[in-house]
Amino acid sequence: MMDCAAYRRAMMADPRDPDAGLREHRESCRDCSLFTEGLLRFETRLERALRVDLPVHADTVAQVVPLRAAAALRARHGPPHRKSWFAMAASVLLAVVVAGGLWLSAAGPSLAADVVTHMEGEPQAWRRTDEPVQSALLQDALRDAHLRLAPAAGIVSYAQSCRFRGHHVPHLVIQTESGPVTVMVLVHEHVRKMVRFDEQGYRGVIVPVARHGSLAVLTRGPETDQQTIDHIAARVQGSLDWTG
Amino acid sequence: MKDQVGGNQKRARFQALCKSLRPDLLRFAFWLSRDRALAEDVVQETMLRAWKAQDSLLDEAAAKPWFLTIIRREYARSFERKRFVTVDVDELIAREEPMLAASEDQDLVELRAALFKLPDEYREPLVLQVLMGFTTAEIARELDLSDAAVLTRLFRARKQLRALCGVDTSLDSQE
Repeated sequence: MMDCAAYRRAMMADPRDPDAGLREHRESCRDCSLFTEGLLRFETRLERALRVDLPVHADTVAQVVPLRAAAALRARHGPPHRKSWFAMAASVLLAVVVAGGLWLSAAGPSLAADVVTHMEGEPQAWRRTDEPVQSALLQDALRDAHLRLAPAAGIVSYAQSCRFRGHHVPHLVIQTESGPVTVMVLVHEHVRKMVRFDEQGYRGVIVPVARHGSLAVLTRGPETDQQTIDHIAARVQGSLDWTG
Repeated sequence: MKDQVGGNQKRARFQALCKSLRPDLLRFAFWLSRDRALAEDVVQETMLRAWKAQDSLLDEAAAKPWFLTIIRREYARSFERKRFVTVDVDELIAREEPMLAASEDQDLVELRAALFKLPDEYREPLVLQVLMGFTTAEIARELDLSDAAVLTRLFRARKQLRALCGVDTSLDSQE
């Protein structure tokens, strides 16, 4: 049986390690269970601290794609060192090229696109596990949305209060028969009808929730069909208990 | 004609990939360099190199570590170019204050300042694990370390960070 020192050392190296030996120790040692709760609270703050908001400038989008143009500029004028008038001019030029519709001819970012983009920021959440998140973390994540979640929703393995479109929203991962499913409770985002999406490897649905905005439910990869996602979304929606 | 269509599709897919990964890559570069302007330069250079070398990316699922490797090389190059000798952490914090303090949560502001003070060898694996979702084995591969060395660095990183943030560390394990 693992001792407390070894347990704490392992947890401080990887607080989300699903190792069965660690879990066994945690369940049998009250002190280490309390220690873990504190550590996971710190971990949640750490994740938020690392996710700095780096403002998107006009040239940021340009930096992503018109690489041929950027490369050509670079070849003509040398490496793009900052803080020179030329770097600024080049950025503006690239932005204009993009604004000209070279490649961004699609509509502006939709709610679904923003949800998918948000997923990219939390890849560690998609872990298949049967270990529920600490209940204190789940309560923290749900508090801002004035929400409780009934056990019928399934095992919640990840819970975070995330900044999304200017608001803190609950971001949960629920373990289902189809694997981990991400749920975002979007109290401030209203949709008129169900929106299904299949973007960048994520498939999901955004459903309207009467008087409480909307609910996004999505899976990663092509394995889960849309009908199953709709079914999971309905089950999760039925498990929501609004307290305010 | 067929080749051109295929090329356009490939280009569009690569563009979409770059776009989706960019926020995280920029954050990684920022925490690596602790300098937003330098991070933007590094990411821009990375995108250029990635574009030229895209044929070597055989599996899109492995795109993130592939980009991160390029970022780390680019950062090392910029470091050589500018020949930084010493780093004044307080100066770095002061320079990036608008971003570090861009939160109504004072705890987060303090935590970000503490992250700035962590030695590079502890901060980097921590960012790879927490922000990028890398496993211990993936971090070990990226940093060319053993799994045990990675775990030791992660342990020390959290221990120092908690102490810097005033967390009671009396119950933390000792080495």
